[in-house]
Amino acid sequence: MFWFLSAPRPLGPDAIPQHQADLANGALMFNIGGCLNCHRPDPANASADAGLPSGGAPLKTPIGTLFPPNLTPDPETGIGKWSELDFVNALERGLSPSGDHAIPAFPYTSYALMRTEDVLDIRAFLMSLTPVRAEDKPDDIPLPFFLRRGVGLWNYLGLSTAKWQPDPRETASWNRGAYLVNGPGHCAQCHTPRTLFMTLDETRAFAGGPHPEGDGNVPSLRGLIERGRYKDAKDLVSAMQFGETFGYDKLSSGGMGAVQTNLSKLPEADVQAIAEYLVSLK
Amino acid sequence: MVKPATILKTMPVLAVLAGLGATFALAGPIEDRQAGMKQVGKAMGAFAGIAKGEAPYDAAVVKTNADAMLAGMKQAFANFTPGSEKGPPETYAKPEIWSDPEGVKAAEDTALKAVEAMAATTDEAGFKTALAGLGEGCKGCHTKYRRPKD
Repeated sequence: MFWFLSAPRPLGPDAIPQHQADLANGALMFNIGGCLNCHRPDPANASADAGLPSGGAPLKTPIGTLFPPNLTPDPETGIGKWSELDFVNALERGLSPSGDHAIPAFPYTSYALMRTEDVLDIRAFLMSLTPVRAEDKPDDIPLPFFLRRGVGLWNYLGLSTAKWQPDPRETASWNRGAYLVNGPGHCAQCHTPRTLFMTLDETRAFAGGPHPEGDGNVPSLRGLIERGRYKDAKDLVSAMQFGETFGYDKLSSGGMGAVQTNLSKLPEADVQAIAEYLVSLK
Repeated sequence: MVKPATILKTMPVLAVLAGLGATFALAGPIEDRQAGMKQVGKAMGAFAGIAKGEAPYDAAVVKTNADAMLAGMKQAFANFTPGSEKGPPETYAKPEIWSDPEGVKAAEDTALKAVEAMAATTDEAGFKTALAGLGEGCKGCHTKYRRPKD
């Protein structure tokens, strides 16, 4: 019964739309997704190009240390041989090409909300990078094989397979911001507290919570203006674009520094859209 | 009998000591480093105001604030002393500050150099370049060695 229910439920070929890849959009999605922040090269390897997501840097999680894999198109150690469907199943369902469940530290429950076209653009962008040979390092988690399989069960609770739906009552830019925050940006993974089952507690969306790396708290994103965190949406845009350069020192700690660096690379209209959405969270 | 020449020589030293005494008059290392950081933040606020166009560029204002920032930063850095890992008052300093002295030293030196570069600017273009470096300098420590706070 357990074996049956925990089985991977991959998407089929009909999930792949006809799509002309857009590398610039892929780069944008790669930045807002913060892919490099976890898939960065092992710091012990000084010769590795820090700008390429060749993986291997340790990522501390509550269940152990993970070593996120190589996202460069190396055919042996990276994603060079992955089909479009393999890639979409990884991002939208948390499944490897061989059907293994990813540990949900990889935020596929947010990426599942993304337009598949955007996911395919990330793949095209990654495929355009210089391939790096970097062997996969086994994760250091005291989790036996059958429990890892249990992620398949957890997915019934934690993984919604519905795409992000725009709210027709809101502006186009609010909806763009909502999509970037909830989908590729996966902000909820840290800023929304979790339930007893480690799923995101949607009743307390973006209300802040314990830091996933166990050090302090992640701030709430609700009422950013009302609580005096920012003067207005424009102030928040400045903070996201310029961070410490304009004296916004709080956007550096707890892992947010790398996120702010990513945000500073986005088109200004997208940063404004994100701010418009965020300040509407009460 | 102290020679007048000796008095003249020691006077600047005494003045510096008096100045240090004034800034070090608080309760303990946590308060002292937080006061130093506050001074840094105030100067950064002045720079940010200029960068955002809320205040006009003024070389003298930049110099004054850069000097104040340098003093505040040095005061802060000198007060991450052994035994001051935990408050009260509440401190956001991470334990890595005490376990990774080499990393901290490198990050501090980068920040200090960035402030010195700001103090040496004479025009608006130089100011803007120095400000970007200064932001990176602050961020270099805050990303690694400070806990998040709401």
